[in-house]
Parts: sequence; structure tokens; C-alpha cells
Amino acid sequence: MNRREFFKISWGTVGLAALVSGVGVSLAAVVRFLMPSVFYEPPQSFKIGEPGDFPFGPPTFLVAEKIFVFRDREKGFAVASAVCTHLGCTVAHFSSDQRFHCPCHGSVFAADGSVQHGPAPRALDWFEVTMARDGKLLVNKDKVVPPNYRLMV
Amino acid sequence: MNLIREIWQSIVRRDPLSTDKGKSELVFLNVWLHIHPAKVKKENMKFRHTFYLGFITFFLFLILLTTGIALMVYYRPYPPQAYQDMKDLQFAVFMGTFLRNMHRWAAHGMVICVFLHMCRVFYTGSYKKPRQFNWVIGVLLLLLTLSLSFTGYLLPWDQLAYWAITVGTNIGSYAPLIGGQLRELLLGGHSVGEGALIRFYVLHVAVLPAAMILLTIVHFWRVRKDGGLSRPVWKLKGKKEELVTIGAPAVAVPMQASAASKDKTYGLMEVVSGKPIFETVTPEEEEDTVFSYPYAFVREAVVLMATVTTVMTMSLFLNAPLEELANPAKTPNPAKAPWYFLGLQELVSHSAFLGGVVAPALMVLALLAIPYLDRNPSRRPRDRKLILWLFTIFVVANLALIVIGTFFRGPGWAMVPPWVHVVGGAE
Ligand code: HEM
Ligand code: FES
Repeated sequence: MNRREFFKISWGTVGLAALVSGVGVSLAAVVRFLMPSVFYEPPQSFKIGEPGDFPFGPPTFLVAEKIFVFRDREKGFAVASAVCTHLGCTVAHFSSDQRFHCPCHGSVFAADGSVQHGPAPRALDWFEVTMARDGKLLVNKDKVVPPNYRLMV
Repeated sequence: MNLIREIWQSIVRRDPLSTDKGKSELVFLNVWLHIHPAKVKKENMKFRHTFYLGFITFFLFLILLTTGIALMVYYRPYPPQAYQDMKDLQFAVFMGTFLRNMHRWAAHGMVICVFLHMCRVFYTGSYKKPRQFNWVIGVLLLLLTLSLSFTGYLLPWDQLAYWAITVGTNIGSYAPLIGGQLRELLLGGHSVGEGALIRFYVLHVAVLPAAMILLTIVHFWRVRKDGGLSRPVWKLKGKKEELVTIGAPAVAVPMQASAASKDKTYGLMEVVSGKPIFETVTPEEEEDTVFSYPYAFVREAVVLMATVTTVMTMSLFLNAPLEELANPAKTPNPAKAPWYFLGLQELVSHSAFLGGVVAPALMVLALLAIPYLDRNPSRRPRDRKLILWLFTIFVVANLALIVIGTFFRGPGWAMVPPWVHVVGGAE
């Protein structure tokens, strides 16, 4: 290899490396730019009110939070997600058969949230519910709990 | 008088249209028209060869561009104003309903026509050499059309919009590994909300139309450079008859660069001697050609006017639907995607991963690969029986799924034939 070829190859390599890394970094930056750093969305953990606000019997559906609040005389409080695990439609709880029905593709979930019918891949989530210091019920959607979880008040 | 003539000539700079030279110059001195050849084969202008479906698709896109820009004047991509603006367009804005209707029906028409155009190209074997790559561009244009519809669907911010996009983007999250992030990137959040609306808006009015325009230009350019339209199937006699049109002789000489004479410096066009394959016209064929002006242009103008008239007439009598304001808590029952995605939704109702990710990905890959996998050189239908059957099955299966999803699915996605009337449905 003579001097000229050497320079041609080394500058060529440097140039190519600069181009590739430049494009790579820019692409990564674009993806990162598109990923919001702050979500202006409702918090995942929130208070839903005093225990006394919730009746016994059929669950209370909280519209904005998309959860069902169950209250049972013996067993206490439990909170189920109303978001279908298939494609995210909001399920309805039928008191007639004690099950959750999804209007979109017909998934049916048993009283404990497990899938009985339809395309849903997994059971409905149950969320942790605790008592905050001010005596209000605190639901944390980031904490998924087993379906037999109960909060006794 | 002289001044007026001078101004006119400074604009057109061609010989009068009564002369052949003028007719040619009209085409190639004009940036818009020169996508056409100066002369076209009569047989290629036949309606039953192309049904002008590509043109109709393009004209519908032009309608979408113009009506879309008009709608933008009154539209704020922010919930719940977006919905209010829809109501304003319907009830307060002069001609608002009409424009919105035109945009909606042209969008549906575009989906239909782009699909039919693809079928025409397939059945006439026009994706074969040398047009393989233009078929690939076409598949991308089909995907762009669907993406434009999908992003546009959210903009009215009504119940229909909200739930169709909730379901639609959740399908994406079943993609392995990156699915969840992909959805978050598209929505700018964890669920469909204001972040999603502005992102869909940007895609719908800027990114996707720009991509569409660029690819359309490439598509048209390639039609020209691949030898103009393919010959009508009924004209093909021999089994291997020229895949390249405008009668490139079987032994066409490739282009060569050489100096045409010694005493001048030349531009590239002059140095490259010998005609490019695609513009070789044999003397017998010369008789079958006519000037693009007026024959091809008049036909295109008629198709344009028919397209515009049809969309306008429909828009006078049929109103684009608008449901209640989007309500994240209440899923309508049944919640359905736009009709052209109902086949997909039907598949998804059986398995989200197989039906929503694997099947569509395979379909797109198969479409893209067709021109490279089909190695049969003949375009004559009787030589391609097998593949014609396969494609027909593909088309019919897609249509059947759409029909089932549209007419046979009732509340809870239960099978309900259209002639049975469900009162109320499940609560
Ligand atoms: C570049 C051109 C386009 C612009 C500037 C544009 C702009 C808009 C705007 C501002 C809206 C909201 C107003 C409304 O919903 O009526 C809209 C809605 C919509 N667009 Fe477009 N659009 C374009 C092209 C397309 C294309 C090519 C398609 C589909 C093939 C399409 C399909 C839709 C649909 C389905 C809606 C919902 C319409 C409705 O609610 O009535 N758009 N578009
Ligand atoms: S979203 Fe519930 S079944 Fe599909």
C-alpha cells in the first residue's frame, strides 16, 4: 500500500464512521424526543373516598379511574381493573351473572377476574387498596395483587 | 395586443396546437404534463385496460388535500375542542358539513380505489419485469392510504374515533418486544388522550401526506421509466411476449455513451446515443399511437370530473357520521373499527397476536414479495392460473372477513346476522 492509498482508506473509514455514528445518534435522539419525559396523565395512585362511601353488594364503578370497587361484609374491600386485557375496552360487570363482559370482542371474565371466554389473554388486574392516614381508601394501580387480596376495615 | 401576445408566448413557448410539433411541445415543455409521453398507444387508453383506477385514486387524493386544508382552518387538535369544532363544522360553518362529507367520502373512496387498482395491476400481471419495484412502491402507497385513514379517524374525537383508536393501537402493543413502547411512542402516553390527538394530527396533516406526495411522484415517474403502461392482456399473443411495453424489440440495444460529434461540447442528453429501451417505437406500432394532446388528456379530464362530481353528489345527500363526545369510561357496544379494518378486528377477536400482528405482517410481506417470487414470465391469464386463484382467494378472504365484521357482529361481538334485530343489546 502506498502513501496515497493509505490516506484514501483511512480517511474513507473515518468519514464513514462519522456518518454512521452521526445518523445513528440523530435517530436515537429523534426517538427519545418523541418519547415524552412528562406524562400529563392522572396519577397511578389516588384516593377514592371514605369506606362509608361504598355500598355493600354490587361493585361501584368509578368512571374516570376505570375501576370496580367491591365491598363485602365479611371480606372487605377489593379493587378490580375495568380495562379488558385484550385490547383495552372498558368491561361491564353484570350483577345477573356476577361476571365481567367486554363489549368489544366478547371476552367474559369470572367473578375473580379470570378469563372464561373470548380472546382476552389474561385475567383482569386487581389493584392494591390501602387505608391512607386520613382514613380514605388509597388505590395504587402500579401494584397488582392476587384476586384474593382484601382490605378489612 | 402585441404585449398580450408576448406575455402569452412567454408563458407557453410552444408552437400552435394545430401542429404536431406544438402538440409534442405542450407535453414536454410543461412541468406538469411531461410525466406523460408525447404520444400514447391507443390500446393503453382503453377503459377496460386500467379502468382508470390509478387516476381515480390520485384525483381522490387531490380532493382530500384541498378539502383537508379547508377543514384545518376550523379544526383544533385538542380535546374536547376537537369535537366542538366538528359540531361547528356541521352546524355553524358555511359549507362545513359539505366539506367534511367530501373529505370523508373521498377518504373511503380512496381506500376502495387503491385496493381495486392493486387488483387490476395484479390480474393483468403488470407487476412483472421491469415493473417489480413500482409494485413495491404501490404497496407502500396502499399502507400510507390506510395510515392516513387510521390517523384521520381519531380527529373528530367522538366515541367512534376514541374506541376505534384505543382498540387499534392496542393491537400494535402485541408486537413482540417493542410493542408496548411503540404504542407509547405513537400515543405520547399510556392511553388515548390529548397527547395522542396531537400526534395523530401531525401524522395526518403533515408527515403522511408529505410521504404520500413524494411516493406518488416516484410511482408516476416509474410508470414512465418502466415503459409506460403494460400492454392490455388481450393484445398478448406469444407466451413470452414483451414484458417491456411500447414494443421494445426483443434485442433492444442498451444505452451507450459516446460523443455524437466532435466539434461541440454536449449536455448529457446529447452524449447518450441510442434510444432508451422504453421509448423505442417500431414503425408498425407508430400507427397505433396518438398524441397525448388531446386524446389522453381529455380522457383524464373526464375521469377527474366524474370523480369530483360523484364525491360532491354523495356529499350532498349522505352525512359523515359523528357520534357523542369521546367518553373513555363508556365503551360502545359493539365497538367497531372503520370498515376496512373490520377484517383485521375479526381476526383479532380470535387471537390478538396471531390475528393482529402475525397475519397482517405476513400479508404485507407477501404483497411486497409477489413480483420477486412469481418467476413466470408470461402475463397471459391462461399461463398463470394458479397464482390468479391464490390471489383471488386472498381477496375473497379479506372481503369475507370485512363483511362478517361489518354485518354479522352484534353486541359483545356475538354472531348476529344482519336480518335479526337486536333491541337494546347487552347493557
Ligand atoms: C394531506 C391531505 C389531508 C389533510 C390536510 C387532511 C386534514 C384533515 C383534517 C383537518 C381532519 C379533521 C376534520 C374532519 O375530521 O373532518 C381530517 C379528517 C379525516 N381525514 Fe384527512 N386530511 C388529508 C388526507 C386524508 C387522506 C388521504 C385520507 C384517507 C385516505 C384521510 C382520511 C380522513 C378521515 C377518515 C377523517 C375523519 C373525517 C371525519 O371525521 O369526517 N385524510 N383530515
Ligand atoms: S377488548 Fe375486550 S375482548 Fe377485545
